[in-house]
Amino acid sequence: MAELDDIIHQPLRLKIMAALNALPVSAGLEFSRLKKLTGATDGNLGAHIETLAKAGYVSVEKAFVGKKPQTTVIATAAGRGAFARHVATLQEIIAGRQG
Amino acid sequence: MIDSKEASAALADIDDIVQRVKQSQLYELASLAAIWWGVLVFAGNLVTWLWPVYAAYAWVGVDVVGVAGLVALRLLNPPHHPRGAGFDIRLLLVFALFFAFGYLCTNVLGHFGPRQLGTFWPLYFMLFYMLAGLWFGYAFIAIGLGISALTLFGFFYIGEAFPLWMAFVNGGGLILGGLWMRRI
Repeated sequence: MAELDDIIHQPLRLKIMAALNALPVSAGLEFSRLKKLTGATDGNLGAHIETLAKAGYVSVEKAFVGKKPQTTVIATAAGRGAFARHVATLQEIIAGRQG
Repeated sequence: MIDSKEASAALADIDDIVQRVKQSQLYELASLAAIWWGVLVFAGNLVTWLWPVYAAYAWVGVDVVGVAGLVALRLLNPPHHPRGAGFDIRLLLVFALFFAFGYLCTNVLGHFGPRQLGTFWPLYFMLFYMLAGLWFGYAFIAIGLGISALTLFGFFYIGEAFPLWMAFVNGGGLILGGLWMRRI
């Protein structure tokens, strides 16, 4: 029986993973764009990205565009796999095979 | 473990965010296209105002460079589905039909003067913006309505400076609209 992924299941982390997973492989979202999409605050978003990065679900790239620092978050292959399994588990719960 | 109601809510959250990401990507691409056309249209109107004798050449140049830019934009940002890697010839067909119908209206069915031409093309272009907005987001409708209203105002109330008015209303409007789309 598949288990829900505790790291992804937290609402904001679920939104982050869903947003990143909607992009093509190896494409990422800038921190400011992710903040706007999820409606999170800077601190909250940063903390949850760190949790996902520690789990190996996202990678964080920091660069300078001109003089402005830019942080880009990208879903890793492990993160995409975990997200797909999490969604499959949610669908199984709805179908009544679990829960 | 969660129940099916909570699982449904989680999936709905996922769908919602996926839609927002898609719209955000669409707006990003559309904003580049709007800024590109805005710069060209600004230049075209400026040439029309300063050197009316060269206006016809300027607008052919604007149209050719504009469409080429959109094709390049599409090639650099291919759709993200498996069969989307190649260039979709329908994009060129859309523009061919767009300009053919516009030409039919302005030069065959009617014989528009410079002022009518300067009004017809932005209104015609913005009509498609507004129609696209019904599917792809309110920003297209807002930009289309704004530019159309100001174009009509200029047609009725602005005198000889009409091309200059249109440089700022149509060209400037598209540039500002494109920048606004990037912030939504």
